[in-house]
Amino acid sequence: MSEHPERSTTAAGPATTVPAVELNGITKRFPGVVANSDVTLKVARGTVHAIVGENGAGKSTLMKILYGMQRPDEGTIEVDGSPVTFHTPADAIKAGIGMVHQHFKLADNLTVLENVVLGSEPRRGWRLDIEGARKKIVEISDRYGLDVDPDPLVEDLGVGERQRVEILKVLYRGARTLILDEPTAVLVPQEVDELFDALQELKAEGLTVIFISHKLDEVLKVADEITVIRRGTTVRTVLPSEVTPRKLAELMVGSELPSPQTSESTVTDRAVLEVKGLTVRDREGRPVVDDVTLTIHAGEVLGIAGVEGNGQAELVEAIMGIRPAEGSVVLEGRDLAGVPTRERRTAGVAFVPEDRIRQGLLLESPLWENRMLGHQTSPPNARGPLVNRRGARADTERIVRDYDVRTPSIDVTASALSGGNQQKLIVGREMSGNPRLLLAAHPTRGVDVGAQAAIWDHLRRARAEGLAVLLISADLDELIGLSDSLKVILRGRLVADADPATVTPEDLGSAMTGAAATGGKPGTADDTDGATDAEGSDV
Amino acid sequence: MERFLPRFDPRKTGLAVLAPVVALVVAAALSSVVLVIAGHSPALAFQRMWEYGTEPAQVVNILNKASGYFLSALAVAIGFRMNLFNIGVDGQYRIAAMAAAVVGATLTLPKPLHILVIVAVAVVVGALWAGIAGLLKVYRGVSEVISTIMLNFIGGAIVAWAVTPQVFAVLENNVVRTKTIPESGWFPGFTWSGIPAGGSQTVVFGEIYGFIVISGLVGVLYWFVLSRTRFGFDLRATGSSEPAAVASGVDVKRMVLTSMLLSGAVAGLVGMPILLGAAHSFGSQDFPSGIGFTGIAIALLGRNNPVGIAFASILWGFLDVSNQILDIESIPKEIVTIMQGAVVLAVVVAYEIVRRIGVATEQRRVMSTENAAPPAVPPATATADTGGER
Ligand SMILES: Nc1ncnc2c1ncn2[C@@H]1O[C@H](COP(=O)(O)OP(=O)(O)OP(=O)(O)O)[C@@H](O)[C@H]1O
Ligand SMILES: [Mg+2]
Repeated sequence: MSEHPERSTTAAGPATTVPAVELNGITKRFPGVVANSDVTLKVARGTVHAIVGENGAGKSTLMKILYGMQRPDEGTIEVDGSPVTFHTPADAIKAGIGMVHQHFKLADNLTVLENVVLGSEPRRGWRLDIEGARKKIVEISDRYGLDVDPDPLVEDLGVGERQRVEILKVLYRGARTLILDEPTAVLVPQEVDELFDALQELKAEGLTVIFISHKLDEVLKVADEITVIRRGTTVRTVLPSEVTPRKLAELMVGSELPSPQTSESTVTDRAVLEVKGLTVRDREGRPVVDDVTLTIHAGEVLGIAGVEGNGQAELVEAIMGIRPAEGSVVLEGRDLAGVPTRERRTAGVAFVPEDRIRQGLLLESPLWENRMLGHQTSPPNARGPLVNRRGARADTERIVRDYDVRTPSIDVTASALSGGNQQKLIVGREMSGNPRLLLAAHPTRGVDVGAQAAIWDHLRRARAEGLAVLLISADLDELIGLSDSLKVILRGRLVADADPATVTPEDLGSAMTGAAATGGKPGTADDTDGATDAEGSDV
Repeated sequence: MERFLPRFDPRKTGLAVLAPVVALVVAAALSSVVLVIAGHSPALAFQRMWEYGTEPAQVVNILNKASGYFLSALAVAIGFRMNLFNIGVDGQYRIAAMAAAVVGATLTLPKPLHILVIVAVAVVVGALWAGIAGLLKVYRGVSEVISTIMLNFIGGAIVAWAVTPQVFAVLENNVVRTKTIPESGWFPGFTWSGIPAGGSQTVVFGEIYGFIVISGLVGVLYWFVLSRTRFGFDLRATGSSEPAAVASGVDVKRMVLTSMLLSGAVAGLVGMPILLGAAHSFGSQDFPSGIGFTGIAIALLGRNNPVGIAFASILWGFLDVSNQILDIESIPKEIVTIMQGAVVLAVVVAYEIVRRIGVATEQRRVMSTENAAPPAVPPATATADTGGER
């Protein structure tokens, strides 16, 4: 099943001149927006081809067209030199094109094997051929070095592993060209390296990879060719050797690359959030957040470094009051035990969730209703028990302006925004109404370099005015650049402190995986929590 | 779920009307096929139904039926807006009407107060009966689909037991019903009289239940609460994404309970038009089971929108009433049941088709407008290195 007859020909044949994928004159319109206009893209077989561009430039749309999820209004698609028309993803899969989405689409409560075969169930006669499927999965996993085990439940996997399952799922269906939409946004550096190793394997086997990213240094590292899209059209295709990250950013937006430099410290000695002995348990009673103690002061950004799935989401949800927990959470001197989420929000806790699609948005509601979400009890969204439509709409306009959310109107549904623009809307909303404490999980995930700098600026300004921030991020540069103090989380425990002024991403990376004898340098920024230092030794 | 009453846009409104119209055409076509197969002329059947259904006396019947259907569909729609499937409207309405009739018959009160008490009993009993399902869901995780079905059976049994001569009922002219409510508990109706076509004498066509006004007010209230209040926002948010609602501070358990209570309260009103307007006592023939299920179909047809539900209720009433003429033409009147089923099916399909047409026309419309995106230059603060300042 897994041998691909055409592979040998490609590998043995003369240097292929027919591109694996060729798009010509692709135009796609949405209400009020031209997402793609006359896009041309040529991807050579056996290469990694990167696509970069601002939020809302039309990258995901273009890929959805190539994957048969959306029909172009104009333009042609050629695969291996022959024109094709895709009506559904199934058509694209038949033509050997597979896609891993910006937002994963795995079913949590199924095993890896079940997820992989879902939709293309292996049959022998009319019986399910589970053993055959398992063999094939192991074979693909070994062949491309994906290191995927078919048996665990998907909900028990980390993000990096989930992603490899998504890739394997696509390969299982016989894809020869893989589309990866922002695959690295959710990964920590080690996982990114693993992913890139896997991509090299795929390439060596003659497969083609199209890959979207906002992280330009990564793009330069892994891509053979880079196409820049700007406002729906292809600007240029360049070789990585011809450009620098700065040059790329200029091609994208005409602006320079930002770096998250913290200005001088604004940390005060007024504690905003005091967490003591916080423990969150999963359904089986195992601690997923284990005895966490931390303090955040007004004007301070406390960064939590960790591989995704080590308890960060649970920690934040416990502080929000979404998840039951043991231990104490004190906000500006007020014990929050038993205080419901809504009251925590009105007390000034803002929340940028890790999973924006699930927790942050009402996809089928207009932007201005999404502006209200989480703030539906306070002005400008409410007047007594009534909704203040005018107020909410006006304030949505403000957020759209201040945070540069690219949208034709505030009446479109949230699902019509590009991923990065959804994120900008959420950050803008949560920064509204003078919060005291911001719980920010990956605040700039999926956001382009220009918008990232803008969000950082907003954060710094609010911090200078006394906002306390709990920052969780997979982007170590962001973490080091924005934080006043840093802690490392591993399997639910805070295992080390680090000083953002001196720590390197490499140190942090190894502390996060628990690989190094802790790179933890005693916290210099604040030393109110000796408890966690003591734990630093058990790595 | 689509937006609740979007800002007025003639194109969108046109599309919204198109969907049910398409559905009706498809349903009529399906019924015609069945009629032809059965050897009848569809044209004749439809013509007779239309003639009969538009006679003034029948219009009165249709409106009277519709006033109950409307409330039933609203009760279902409240649940739908929150992703709750209240199948128990049927049981809730019957047990509430029975209780209201029994209480109403034992009291002697001045007019408006008497009516008020009867209605209040109905509302409370309906809410409590639905509230059991709400409690089971919140504290025991029992699906409301299962519990409301069970409660329908239990409610039915209680009603059957209560409406026996040994308990609350009396035997009159070979029918068992509860005791009659004194006149102070009757809701005045609108008498419609006039000269029928081809006649010369003024006759009374019938009496439209006064409670139809209350039904309408409940519809307005439904619209107002859902689209204009914080509570309605929370309810819709929970319906469209529970995790997002939770993160926004909605207490989902409380929301489930509240909306079940509200749904049940409205369900309790379903029997009021006929109880206060015509029956004045509870008997199984006036309060048949099934109206709660009809409400599900009507809520689907009206897309949880009060105006849509009003039209759908009248349509349903029309089909119910006008099928009686088919017997006379010796056409099986079950054809109407097929038609009603076909309408519901067709409507689901039609909405999807119309949605796609909508997207396509929008796309064609922006074709000329060359506004790709707002200026690509990010705000000055985004690029300038403001890090040093402050
Ligand atoms: N289903 C839709 N309905 C309406 N508009 C849409 C839809 N999908 C995308 N758009 C619009 O098309 C444009 C391009 O979106 P797309 O998702 O392709 O951007 P992107 O380049 O992937 O951005 P990002 O980096 O933020 O993910 C955006 O302006 C977006 O608002
Ligand atoms: Mg995208």
